[in-house]
Amino acid sequence: MKRIISLILAMGMAATMVACGNSSNNSAPQAAEPTAESAAEQPAPSGQDGGNISAAGVAIDQIILGEDYTDLSAEIRFKTHRTDIMDTILQGYADDFREMYPNITVTYEGITDYSETMTTRLSTPDWGDACMIPTTIPLTELENYFHPFGATATLSEDYNFADNRAFGGTTYGLPSTSNAQGVLFNKAVFAKAGITDIPKTPDEFLDALKKIKDNTDAIPLYTNFAAGWTMGAWDAYISGSATGDPDFMNIKLPHAKDPFANRGDGTGPYAVYYVLYEAVKRGLVEDDPATSDWESSKGMLNRGEIGTMVLGSWAIVQMQEGGPNPDDIGYMSFPISVNGTQYATAGADYCYGINKNSSDEVKLASMLYIKYLVEKSNFDYDQGGIPTVKSHEFPSTLAAFDGIDLVADAPAKAGEEDLFVNINVDSEVSLNMDNQHVISIVEAALTGSATLDDLMADWNARWTASQQKYGAGA
Amino acid sequence: MKSERSVKSLRPKLSIKQQIMSMRGQRIIITVAFMLVPLLLLFLFTYLPFFKMGQFSLYEMRYIGKRTFVGLQNYADVFSRNDVFGSLKLSLYYLAASFIQLALALYLAATLSFKVKGGAFFKGTIFFPYLVCGIAIGFIFKFFFTRGFVLDTVLGYLGANLEILPYWLRDTGVNNIMLAATSIWRYLGQNMVLFIGAIMSVDPSLYEAANIDGASGWNKFRHITLPGIQSIVVLNMILSISGSISAFEPPFVITNGTFGTATYFVMMNSLAHEKQKVGLASAMAVVLMLIIVLVTLFQRFVSSTFLEEDKNGYTFSERRAMKKRADARGGRGV
Repeated sequence: MKRIISLILAMGMAATMVACGNSSNNSAPQAAEPTAESAAEQPAPSGQDGGNISAAGVAIDQIILGEDYTDLSAEIRFKTHRTDIMDTILQGYADDFREMYPNITVTYEGITDYSETMTTRLSTPDWGDACMIPTTIPLTELENYFHPFGATATLSEDYNFADNRAFGGTTYGLPSTSNAQGVLFNKAVFAKAGITDIPKTPDEFLDALKKIKDNTDAIPLYTNFAAGWTMGAWDAYISGSATGDPDFMNIKLPHAKDPFANRGDGTGPYAVYYVLYEAVKRGLVEDDPATSDWESSKGMLNRGEIGTMVLGSWAIVQMQEGGPNPDDIGYMSFPISVNGTQYATAGADYCYGINKNSSDEVKLASMLYIKYLVEKSNFDYDQGGIPTVKSHEFPSTLAAFDGIDLVADAPAKAGEEDLFVNINVDSEVSLNMDNQHVISIVEAALTGSATLDDLMADWNARWTASQQKYGAGA
Repeated sequence: MKSERSVKSLRPKLSIKQQIMSMRGQRIIITVAFMLVPLLLLFLFTYLPFFKMGQFSLYEMRYIGKRTFVGLQNYADVFSRNDVFGSLKLSLYYLAASFIQLALALYLAATLSFKVKGGAFFKGTIFFPYLVCGIAIGFIFKFFFTRGFVLDTVLGYLGANLEILPYWLRDTGVNNIMLAATSIWRYLGQNMVLFIGAIMSVDPSLYEAANIDGASGWNKFRHITLPGIQSIVVLNMILSISGSISAFEPPFVITNGTFGTATYFVMMNSLAHEKQKVGLASAMAVVLMLIIVLVTLFQRFVSSTFLEEDKNGYTFSERRAMKKRADARGGRGV
């Protein structure tokens, strides 16, 4: 008897091994060359399964929320980066949505270190059903991972930044909220320091910081260096805010010769990093950046212990809620003027995306839920961001931006969609990707190991080398 | 070999069923059945990923998107880039720390393995940090070293003025030393417990004999304890060396590799996950593995030549002593 059992066991194990081998064989080519497969899949709409619901043909703007597909039953696994409000606000949306669609359940999973973790998880087909699309996915690859929302041209009529996660005229993601990039400041600190006019150029801003240092006890500029991602946030200002040119980031930067060089007129990427470098060098930042703490910085700005912080408009609400003085929190445009005019970079925050490998029911349910999030939840308004639906009104937090032109980055030219990413990754400048390059500016300013011109020359050299590699020379 | 074959041919031919039921067949089946699961796991979670990593190291690739075969270019980059290979220099800090740690652990173990007042309490206290998770230790020390926090306050009580104190995590002169110190704090207890275990296994009658002969404490340690636990000392040393080459948690959690504290591992992590240069990071990992293999081979060479007994039962020092005696005899003869 024992012998038979052991024989069966051995055979069973051998079978498992074969099965393992098989499944890995199946998934390997899928991961290696997804393009071929998806190209074959894409043109054929999967609506042929008889009377079944098909998500493939439906565009998000054609759905009438609360009327269509109300008997649909599905379970959506939603990945989010907002671990702080996952169990409260986001769960509230899911519950609210259930009143319209009682058979659709949404389960949130929060991921810290979102961008890195999610990028890795996306390389397997079954990572979940809906997520915030990580910006590390090149636009050219979107179709291999995400379910289309509809034609970009049509969606752009109703939604802001519908072209943010789009490729080849199809949109694969809609913004959860959108940000204008400016600078947070404490109005009381500014008044106490004797700053009457909002600074408009890098040098005016540095003078204002100096006044804060001389006349108050507040830290003039809090870098939040230790958090890391708060340093990477500086990259957001180099396009619209620093140039006023919507074409700068995706169209001109890949081809520009020495884009990080000093333009001499206080504009361009150099001017943005100049503010950071000089503020650190002149001792206008926190005493020991290496040990700063993000969570406590919210209260410090609110209580007037910090003068300014350089963060996108999404941070306004968090700072207002961080302490007893919400009215003291002000928001201004980044201190750069292009020919006397101030601009502000505006763009989508994380966009919602749907897994193309999920079943049709789940895809459709996810689309319904995302439509609800975008149109009914008011998430964007509550977070102080630019609303995704064009007809919705702007929140009052952005009132400071009256008279300042919001500049959204135009998408790259057809055929060059992945050029910027390729050069950005290969050169390891990693704009909007990692924090190391901005951190190196602070390190150099603190230790005096390199001048800003040295650093920028190094970035330019690496940028140029990668441009040549990808045939995009100036 | 030959004889075996001839034996086999003498055996009567068995049917498959008989073969399976035979002692030999049963042994093979049992062996295979028992080995299959661990081998499968080992293959699936160790060799397959490693093989894949070796494959990745030959490509220029991101996690997402197409791959380009670049041959050994990534390896050339690992050795030619200052920021990558240069980061191995930081291992020297952790290496120095690990020797201090071994010396301290040995001292404490030698003391605590004999009857000491409150011995169990001290053992527990020193071992405790090893039980705390590395990430938590990182956060503890992040606040410990923050300007004006724990360390500065304590030094302030002792009369040190805040102005003369360095920024512990920012000043490149001290920050790596501070990070290495946290790993001493963490692993000291573990080393000590290993040493205590080894010391316990030394024959107590040797100490008794030494006591009768009137040996001092140091002499007992030098001539009885140390030779008795030699192999554990060497093992700990090797573990410390490979540990210091692959130091990761303190610099990653406490400083995130800023201000010149990015060790080889921190660099590898940032290249792979933030800069999305998966091929280069894989090449770094393969190179690191080769370095560790080299270190281990060196250790085996050292311990087999100098520490273990040779086939005649003599250790290196005994052989040297014999040779000396022989030389001396020969010298007198001339």
